[in-house]
Amino acid sequence: MEYRSEFSGDPLVVEIQGVLTFDDHERFRELAAAVADSEAATVVLDLSGLTMIDSAGIGMLIMTNDRVVKRGKTLRLRGVQGQVAKVVELSRIEQLIPVD
Amino acid sequence: MDDTPSQTGLSPADRGARILVVDDQPSSRALIGSLLKAEGYSRLAYAGDGVAAMDWLAENEADMIILDIRMPRMDGFEVCRAVRGRLGRTMPILVQTGVQEADSRVEAFRAGASDIVAKPVNAGELVSRVRLHLERRQMIHRLQRYQDRMEDELRAAQSMQLDLLPGPADIDAIVRPRGGSLTAFYRASHMLGGDLWQVFPVDETRFGIFMVDLSGHGVSAAINAFRVHMITAGLSAERHDPAQWLAALNRRLAPILPVEHFATAFYAVIDPGAGRLHYAAAGAPPPLLLRADGSWEALCGGGLILGCLADAAYETHAMDLSPGDRLFAYSDALCEDFEQPDRSLDAGEIAEAVQAEAGGGEAFADRLIARLFGRADPDFRDDLTFLLVGMTPS
Repeated sequence: MEYRSEFSGDPLVVEIQGVLTFDDHERFRELAAAVADSEAATVVLDLSGLTMIDSAGIGMLIMTNDRVVKRGKTLRLRGVQGQVAKVVELSRIEQLIPVD
Repeated sequence: MDDTPSQTGLSPADRGARILVVDDQPSSRALIGSLLKAEGYSRLAYAGDGVAAMDWLAENEADMIILDIRMPRMDGFEVCRAVRGRLGRTMPILVQTGVQEADSRVEAFRAGASDIVAKPVNAGELVSRVRLHLERRQMIHRLQRYQDRMEDELRAAQSMQLDLLPGPADIDAIVRPRGGSLTAFYRASHMLGGDLWQVFPVDETRFGIFMVDLSGHGVSAAINAFRVHMITAGLSAERHDPAQWLAALNRRLAPILPVEHFATAFYAVIDPGAGRLHYAAAGAPPPLLLRADGSWEALCGGGLILGCLADAAYETHAMDLSPGDRLFAYSDALCEDFEQPDRSLDAGEIAEAVQAEAGGGEAFADRLIARLFGRADPDFRDDLTFLLVGMTPS
């Protein structure tokens, strides 16, 4: 997994690329802390470059959402496609995190 | 263990180390022996050449060998190779070489020496290196013991986890009398896993099947699987109603699962006699209904994953069943290939493989795995479970 962001603006947009699995746990935790600490009221994870996600990856999205919401902010997902879209749809994540 | 340093700075474990000194010159053996004794090492043994050393090692255990190179009958290089062959890589071998013998140093390491000390011996250097290598050996032993104990514990836990799963007697008691058959496969990727499946009697004509995949693998996922098992034992009032059953399980899981942990699940109530299937799902790979006439359809696997939102609601779906129809439910390890995403399987490929193998009688699970993975015993990256439920033709 790679991510790219200016870490500025509102909404703050982070582009996530590659494959999101258990192996990315540590880096994603850093990312979650960074976006939760940011000034932005809305954080958008752009997943259009993400090709696959496993259950640990879904867990990381939920953990990021939890952190962001606890700071009074909103997390949104956008650009889901392929296997990621299937998993997001199947798990009804939109009941927890808005999906654009 | 008592690790209090003695006057020489050695722990009792160090002082008890058994050291074999191999040198053809009696004066060299005596010198090394006296240096080690002065340092507190008391369990010393001596050999005058390689053959005598190997004879002694055949009868006794050493913690370290201090070895000369130039000796009659069998030299130090040969001893190194023989010890590595017989006693493995962890035995410390300290080789003495003359300062002029640069080539011997390289050859000694190639032959398996752990370290080299200059000859004639420098007292401080010798005892420092002896102590260093004995400490390393002790650390390796401690790690080895720790690893052995962890493996024993994991094996015990693994057998406890396998005991959670229904066996042939449960299937005979619950599924068969109600006109069904059931074949199951379960394999954890790291000894312990986060998959679990169960069967329950609902009433005289119906039975329930349940499959759950806790996120993550290994110990934490397995502990959560045990928790699910305990919770489902208490859900007898909801057994006939898949949506209520999943909602009740979810309500109990939400407060105990950590925020980034969750479960995907499928619960079905099957009445083979009446030809009815009711089911509910929570983010499960869509189970497949394989019709007796060779056609198939995917069930709905959608539903909020369990453990995230205590008041989540689930939906019961209904399907008609005919004799000879089969229901195939599986965890995502069957279809998702993270190493080679292009090789991930879609529902059609799985349905085709199951249809092809399901009619073949015995060893369905083995044949399905061989067909889908291209070999009989693939390395599973994730826990894998699948269930094939048949409606016995009347």
